[in-house]
Amino acid sequence: MSGKEPLSTRVVDYRIDAKLDAEKRIITATETLTYKNLTGQPQQTFPFHLYLNAFQPQSTFMTEVRLSGTRGTGPDSGWDPKHFGSIKVSKLEVAGMGDLTDKMEFIHPDDHNADDHTVFQVSLPKAIAPEDSVTFQMSFQDQMPEVVERTGYKRDFLMAGQWFPKVGVWWKNAWNCHQFHASTEFFADFGTFDIKLTVPQNEIVGAGGDLVSTENNWDGTKTLAYHSEDVHDFSWTASPTFTDVEDSWTGSAGEVKIHVLMSPGNMASAPRYIEVLKGTLRLYDEWIGPYPYDRITVVDPPHGAGDAGGMEYPTLITADTSWNMPKGMLIPEVVVEHEFGHQYWYGMVATNEFEEAWLDEGINSYLEVKVMDELYGKNRSVMNFPFAQMAEDGEQRTSYLGSPDADPLTRYAWQFRDDGSYGGVTYGKTATVLLTLEKIIGEDKMRESLHQYFLRYRFKHPTGTDFMKTIEDVSGQDLSWYFNQAVSGTNVLDYRVEDAHSDPLKWYERDSKDNRYRTYVTIHRRGDFIFPVDVQVKFDDGYSVMEHWDGKDRWVRYEYVRPSEVASAEIDPDHKITLDRNFFNNSYTIKADARATTKLSHIWLFASEWISQLFAWVT
Amino acid sequence: MAAKKNKVFMSGAAIVWRRQRVLWWIFIVGLVFSHLGTHRQVEKVAGALNHSLSAAPRLFHDFDVDAIMELTEQPDAPLETFGQSFLISPFLYTIFMLFITGGILATYYRNMTMSTGEFFGASGHYFWRFFRLLIYFAIACIPIMILLGIANAIYDHLDEVSTSPLVSVHFFEAAAVVILFLVMCLRLWFDMAQVIAVADDEPRMHRALRLSAGLVWRNFGSLFWLYFRISLIGCLGFGLGLYLWMFKLKPESLTSGFLLSQIMILTWIATRLWQRASEAAWYGGHQAMESESDVVPVPAPVPVMAAPPAATPGMN
Repeated sequence: MSGKEPLSTRVVDYRIDAKLDAEKRIITATETLTYKNLTGQPQQTFPFHLYLNAFQPQSTFMTEVRLSGTRGTGPDSGWDPKHFGSIKVSKLEVAGMGDLTDKMEFIHPDDHNADDHTVFQVSLPKAIAPEDSVTFQMSFQDQMPEVVERTGYKRDFLMAGQWFPKVGVWWKNAWNCHQFHASTEFFADFGTFDIKLTVPQNEIVGAGGDLVSTENNWDGTKTLAYHSEDVHDFSWTASPTFTDVEDSWTGSAGEVKIHVLMSPGNMASAPRYIEVLKGTLRLYDEWIGPYPYDRITVVDPPHGAGDAGGMEYPTLITADTSWNMPKGMLIPEVVVEHEFGHQYWYGMVATNEFEEAWLDEGINSYLEVKVMDELYGKNRSVMNFPFAQMAEDGEQRTSYLGSPDADPLTRYAWQFRDDGSYGGVTYGKTATVLLTLEKIIGEDKMRESLHQYFLRYRFKHPTGTDFMKTIEDVSGQDLSWYFNQAVSGTNVLDYRVEDAHSDPLKWYERDSKDNRYRTYVTIHRRGDFIFPVDVQVKFDDGYSVMEHWDGKDRWVRYEYVRPSEVASAEIDPDHKITLDRNFFNNSYTIKADARATTKLSHIWLFASEWISQLFAWVT
Repeated sequence: MAAKKNKVFMSGAAIVWRRQRVLWWIFIVGLVFSHLGTHRQVEKVAGALNHSLSAAPRLFHDFDVDAIMELTEQPDAPLETFGQSFLISPFLYTIFMLFITGGILATYYRNMTMSTGEFFGASGHYFWRFFRLLIYFAIACIPIMILLGIANAIYDHLDEVSTSPLVSVHFFEAAAVVILFLVMCLRLWFDMAQVIAVADDEPRMHRALRLSAGLVWRNFGSLFWLYFRISLIGCLGFGLGLYLWMFKLKPESLTSGFLLSQIMILTWIATRLWQRASEAAWYGGHQAMESESDVVPVPAPVPVMAAPPAATPGMN
């Protein structure tokens, strides 16, 4: 990739020389960051992220974890010193301005927590003019925690994510450099990374860059040099027990080398990772746009390091499996698909994950549904056993049903009511909102919208407004009525058939020969979300009528006089409105069909009998 | 000797077969209790499903786990599978089984048909003894629970320090075998104490336990093999049924699925009763042998079986 025209506006140039002490889990490094001032105005103060300082008891991250949890299981249940992590900048110099270590100060833009050390800023003696560059030289040391929140060690495995001081983003005419929160991810500028890693010679290393050189050192270490460009982060992993499974795939932008770093005991999942990765590469290439990098590395964390799994970094993703993962459980596939999708939604279309997490997680979750359904079949793309199935769209929808009305999609990630609402809304609701939108504008328009959104905003930092405008542009529709409710609002969508019945027309006449009936069908909008719906009413003689209701009132009643009685009434007979909270009350049949209930009752009966037998064993 | 062991094994099965009314009653009572325990839940979910066009495609033709989750997430919660009522029937069933175990053992030991009054009379007669045994059983479980805790701690440690997940898995398998073995031994010990309590009409349960411990210790091989073989048959039968239900039957096979599930429960109860009957038969044979050895010095033309009494025709 080197030598080609830049794909992105390169704001940063990081050069890091790092050495790993594998026993102490300490990374000692020097960093040279050249920042190009493209903000259009002089800049004198620069903020930096120090993410690893989140893993300390009094940080904002930990305070939020105690309040409402976070992904994984790490520190939720209690503080353990092994989860301690830190990053200390021991020296900061600016070329031409001298040692500014004393000028560093921790700031707390989000919550004024003075004990939070995840962001510092430094004020320069003089401002950097627009179009000029400034070079920061730092010495820093990381103490890696036992794996927590995507990063850290487990036994001899190390996942180094968010491990170096990273400058904030000048965005919307201000510095955007949020503290690290329990439910936030990241935001950074594009640029180039030249990283040297010195590790013990027995380590097998994977990284988000092209390996440029390898050199064995006299002291039993080796130095690996990596180069990466048009990305906004660099992560790496090391373990002496990895098995590197190599493969490749060729798409419209050329060959992509695949490295899958498998942990002991998990080798059975390697072909599954590769299969889904190639399928996802192909479908993204066809549907969204070319994957421009020449590599992708999948890291399979070892057992016990699950909190490092399911994470995305540019050209490096972490997966999730277990030694005994059944074939019918498609968790390895779902995770790899999702994390690879982030190469587009976060990696290239680099939205602000702190403030608009729905744009990367939600769009990605929507495409997760589309890709998994395409690759593994609709209705069984998460779980596929003869006795039970689970679909991707259903999984996204049910995750949203847990917290349907607490937060809008547009909420800042750390301001959600709790971790459940963050996950349910950011991932599940967004995917469900987009699945419903797909039915409004059509699948082709939806795909074209995402394609155009990618083409317009790859290697940029778009906003939600940009995304919604692109959809309106492509579809040619004013969708503000929908976006206002689904994206900015917390209204719940729930329609139900409140009543359907028929009454003899001449009910007052005995032995009447008039066999006509007056039929009433009442539809109730239970939720506050207003959505136009179709209503199909079927009669005993096979006659069917389709009504269309704008849904604006709270209820509507349809009345028919026909020579047959009503058989059923159904809202949204084509099942377009995925966002509806309850599918079961969308229809009403006059004749009861107890087969589903009977099946459930048999299962419950058996379970109760079986538990009874276990209890009675003690007697 | 092997032939004798096999005889007990088969005679236990024969007793259960001959006295199968016991089996059917236990099965029916369990079924009724479970039906009552789940009835409210079924009624509630019927309100949500029975008139919905979505229900059959999602839960009858398929088994869509998302549909179950959707039901649990509704504000009016039509699905609350593991509510309190769900555990009441197993609890009642356990008390019922504790009550009738005396009657079951009396029937099996005597290998004769008892009238309903006799059966429940025997049940009531031994109920408080077996209740005391249950308390002893809970106490005896404490060391096993401690062992389980230790095994769990070792498992966690191995899982923490081992690069391969299989190290802790293999330890778990080995620990499970050992703990299962101990649990089976414990159950065997208490089973035999119950048999002694009935056969000898022993009112002191600590004495019954002491006698049972000696008996099991001296005849461990034959008794454990007897218990283990029947357990294995029960587990294999249950596993086979589960396999057929989950993997072989069509999702729409309501009647077949129901029948199969009930056959699994029936088989499970039958194998437990088989264990009881075999243990009772074994103890009867053991008593007979001891009586024989008591009368050895006195020549007798025909050996006399002191116990158990011979089977009598009547209600089965």
